[in-house]
Amino acid sequence: MNSSEAKKKLLLYRRSIDDGDPQFQGALEHALRDPDLAEWLREQRSSYDAIRSKLCEIEPPSGLAERIIRQRPIPIRRGWPQVLQLAAAIVMLAGIIAVWLNVSHTKEHSLVQGQEIVVKGEVLDMTCYIARNASGPKHAECARECIRKGLPVGIKSEDGRVYLLVGKIKPVNGELADYAAKTVTIRGRETMRDGFVQLQVEEIRKF
Amino acid sequence: MAVDPEFENLVNLYYRDLYRFGFSLTRSEADACDLTQQTFYIWANKGHQLKDLARVKGWLFTTLHREFLQTCRRREWLSDEPISEEAQELPPVPTDVVDRMDTQTMLEALGQIGEGYRAPLVLYYMEDLSYKEIANVLEIPIGTVQSRIARGKMHLCQRLSETK
Repeated sequence: MNSSEAKKKLLLYRRSIDDGDPQFQGALEHALRDPDLAEWLREQRSSYDAIRSKLCEIEPPSGLAERIIRQRPIPIRRGWPQVLQLAAAIVMLAGIIAVWLNVSHTKEHSLVQGQEIVVKGEVLDMTCYIARNASGPKHAECARECIRKGLPVGIKSEDGRVYLLVGKIKPVNGELADYAAKTVTIRGRETMRDGFVQLQVEEIRKF
Repeated sequence: MAVDPEFENLVNLYYRDLYRFGFSLTRSEADACDLTQQTFYIWANKGHQLKDLARVKGWLFTTLHREFLQTCRRREWLSDEPISEEAQELPPVPTDVVDRMDTQTMLEALGQIGEGYRAPLVLYYMEDLSYKEIANVLEIPIGTVQSRIARGKMHLCQRLSETK
């Protein structure tokens, strides 16, 4: 290798990151024996470092990382076991709907206007509870956000019964978001239609 | 919405480098922010498809570059000839000239270089990726990467010399 060939190689040499790259080894060895080439390489490195340091001065605006983290979408990540579970759930759901449609033909929109009841239990984010059986303290932060954003809110009573919570003329999400995954007592009017139970909230007692 | 610590760590680890790359390509803070955010947005949706987690950094740079190219309406003809003698004889820009410059001047000089040269040149100076990784990010052969960097350096040195 002569000096010209070595220069051609060393023009792209960046020290540490390229040290393991065999394409530079011969040229670097040549620079050790050739003082002019060594001086040329020193100047190239110096210029490289100066330009690199200018690029490293570019700083992102403050708050960019927080913005990215805040705007993270909720990914739908499913492996094969989850896909099979989902498929099974869809088949079961289709069966339930078929039965329900059959029943609804014979019993048009059965409505049960219940009496006033008091329910003590955990405040649920219904979306995550139904989809993933998510509840309890580990899920509190997610539940709080979901309820605050307006997703359906419910309560699971101590006997295991789940009620969808609705207000009289306004949503109750704002009042219940901070009590997500916590225990409250709710007085309200129980209404059931076609098997679905909701509790129209009259009073919320928080602990 | 629950915070995902893995996602947060990844953002904190790479957002600066991605922003620098994006800013060097676009010379616009807003565009660089958009590119960086869009890159992590795509990661959140598709990142799980990446089997080899050691390649996360390259994946992120590739994604940002693809997003950048999608926003570019114009493409230019690029010469991928081997490095010529004139590139070898290229006098390096004196360090004091670069030191006296502000980053904006440097970016303006970079901006005058064609996009096809600018992206490999910025990745070369950022020193985060090997030549093989740069080739993967830009989805071009390694020889093309090296010839574009050599030519890009020549163009940059000419621009910087003119600002003396």
